[in-house]
Amino acid sequence: MSAASVPGRENSASGTFSKRLKNLTSSYMFRVIIQGLITIWAVTTFTFVLVRLLPGNPVDIRIDQLQNQGYTYEEAVRQAAGLYSFDPDEPIFSQYLRYISNLARGDLGVSITSAGTPVAAQIMRFLPWTLISVGSALVISFSLGILIGVMMAYWRGGVLDNVVTALASILSGIPDYVIAIVIILVGGVQLKLFNVGEMRGGVDPGIQGFTLEYVASVIKHAILPVTTYVLATVGTWILSMKSSTISTLGEDYIHVAKARGLPERRILIAYVGRNAMLPLVTRLAISIGFVLGGSVIVETFFEYPGLGLQLSRAVASRDYTTMQGIFLVISIAVIASNILSDLLIGWLDPRVSLEDK
Amino acid sequence: MAGFDTIATPVGLLIGIICGFVPLGIGIYYRHLRPGIMGFFACTVSGFACGFFGGIPMILLSTSVVVSYVYVNRQDPFTSRKSIEEVDFAETNAEFVLRQTAAFGRTLRAMSYGILRNKGGFIGFVGILFFLVLTTFGPLFIEYEGQPRMDRRLPGAMTLFQMPSSEHILGLDFQGRDVLSHIVYGGQTLIITAIETGLMATAIAVVFGSLAALLGGIVDQLLSALSNFILTIPQFPLLLVLASILDFDSHFMLAVLLAALSWPALMRAVRAQVLSLKARDYVEAAITLDLGMSHIILREVFPNMVSYIAINFIFAIRGAMYALVGLVILGMVPLREPDWGIMIWNARSRGAFYNPDAVMMALAPIMAIALFQLSLILFTRSLEEIFNPRLRSGL
Repeated sequence: MSAASVPGRENSASGTFSKRLKNLTSSYMFRVIIQGLITIWAVTTFTFVLVRLLPGNPVDIRIDQLQNQGYTYEEAVRQAAGLYSFDPDEPIFSQYLRYISNLARGDLGVSITSAGTPVAAQIMRFLPWTLISVGSALVISFSLGILIGVMMAYWRGGVLDNVVTALASILSGIPDYVIAIVIILVGGVQLKLFNVGEMRGGVDPGIQGFTLEYVASVIKHAILPVTTYVLATVGTWILSMKSSTISTLGEDYIHVAKARGLPERRILIAYVGRNAMLPLVTRLAISIGFVLGGSVIVETFFEYPGLGLQLSRAVASRDYTTMQGIFLVISIAVIASNILSDLLIGWLDPRVSLEDK
Repeated sequence: MAGFDTIATPVGLLIGIICGFVPLGIGIYYRHLRPGIMGFFACTVSGFACGFFGGIPMILLSTSVVVSYVYVNRQDPFTSRKSIEEVDFAETNAEFVLRQTAAFGRTLRAMSYGILRNKGGFIGFVGILFFLVLTTFGPLFIEYEGQPRMDRRLPGAMTLFQMPSSEHILGLDFQGRDVLSHIVYGGQTLIITAIETGLMATAIAVVFGSLAALLGGIVDQLLSALSNFILTIPQFPLLLVLASILDFDSHFMLAVLLAALSWPALMRAVRAQVLSLKARDYVEAAITLDLGMSHIILREVFPNMVSYIAINFIFAIRGAMYALVGLVILGMVPLREPDWGIMIWNARSRGAFYNPDAVMMALAPIMAIALFQLSLILFTRSLEEIFNPRLRSGL
């Protein structure tokens, strides 16, 4: 139905349009997305300035390296200038303007230290590894935590419950890098369960194409970091699922379900589990955002080629554009997952109304 | 100031004894000798351990416990125990302070009973105490070995690493130094920095959180936006960058940096808490009576949040320690030896991870960090249970 063909309707059409616009601007989604965009801009600007406050720029660091290799200062300056497409004397504000206008066009710039490689390509190279390792760890540890948590709450007070709860408390209190080191020390060196040297990297070198062998190799290399992440986080999931389940068990509808004589299994899954999971699902959505940040230390220890390792290398070599790019990607992920968790809880639990916030 | 530099020295002991006279004096004056004497010993030990930094907080703690025993309500001496919680709008500020001290002392007593009865909490408390005693009084008994000891090389050995022996309980490190001495001396800076961070982060969070909730409007929006902003930036990567920008001569700067990044989560919680407290009847009554902002914050809102803040203070300490050790392990913060994080960094860069003889050099600091963190979390979890009885049935 076209409004232009019927002259009398034109007014009302523009009326609904302005009404729609008003609805749009006052809607929760719109506000949230605008807020998100502003935060992304703020983070971008902040990291831009921050990164340039680092002592020593990439050219200076390269000049130092070249001088150590026996070049004279002039030669080193000429070589370094030719190597990098970066002029340290350009005013910071014009650098900023150029960066932002490029960013608006979706161009993250070119890595300074590995000249010619676009930052986007670099991120795309390292991102999958972090997604695979931290992502699968998140899924495993969340599902394990939910399952064990519900069981511990349902049969609480038993020997198994006490043991598992104590174990979960202990695991939740130990930092992830401690677990990583213990895995290397005990599993790799003392018990010789695996060869730590062989487990480095994301995949065995020399495997071509996407074959079964390739997948097996990826899994083999991801096992250590994934185990570390799972052990470091599963305790918290178990404990929060357990306490959430216990508070759900006290609800009236559980008693009613029991009074109706529903089978135990059905109560456990459909009534207790689903309701107790609600608060945890939003937390899962929030932690998805932090997946990309990965764990710098764990990736460094296992020399796993994820974003965290890449970031720490970029910091060490003062690769401004790469650092900015990684920060941008991580912040977008965090903001998006926050919005997702808000929407998710509103959809899963109609009692929580978004418009009230 | 006679602070941390007086750790386990005669000066510290003197400070502790002087501090101890405060609870002892109050106890003797009001004829409650037992809490007085216990306060005296507590002050002496903690003053001996940390000088003024240990003595003065301990005066507050022990004195409030003593006061909670002797608290007498002038108007109605027979129901004074009960009247600690009763609000009397006619009371003077001095009476209010006395009543709050008594209430605080009573909370402390309830807490210590609770901790003693709670298995996890007791283990956590003992663990924390163990590490505090180890780092403060350990130096009295064990000498620090900073210099390489080439003479300890065993005949035929390739390296100076050694497994534990009766002489060196935790073995020797890559320079033939006693690992135990590094464990004893290496916790001090770490724990002090973490506590400083916790104090600063908690202070910022409480001030900002209550300001945002009570003033509302533009202040609320600005502070909330700031906290959202800091929460959005990935913490550890940011620390990585910041740590290489700033030149850390002192660990205090590092604590400031960590605190600046770690307040937002607690600030949000405090803000929410104050908002919900604000809606309660007694606070609304105080607002209607126009009792003034400072009265509302200090008298109505703050006393109801003490337990909550205490728990989050320990959480902040834990987070600070995690980040601190993480930065040191990656070699991003040039801290000096002795330090647990540097031990791990050394172990990693000297190949101790892959040398079966060197396992103690890496394992000892890792165990120390893991056990300390574990004690903190067990302690906080049981505190939560004590303060929040609804959880008690569960965990």
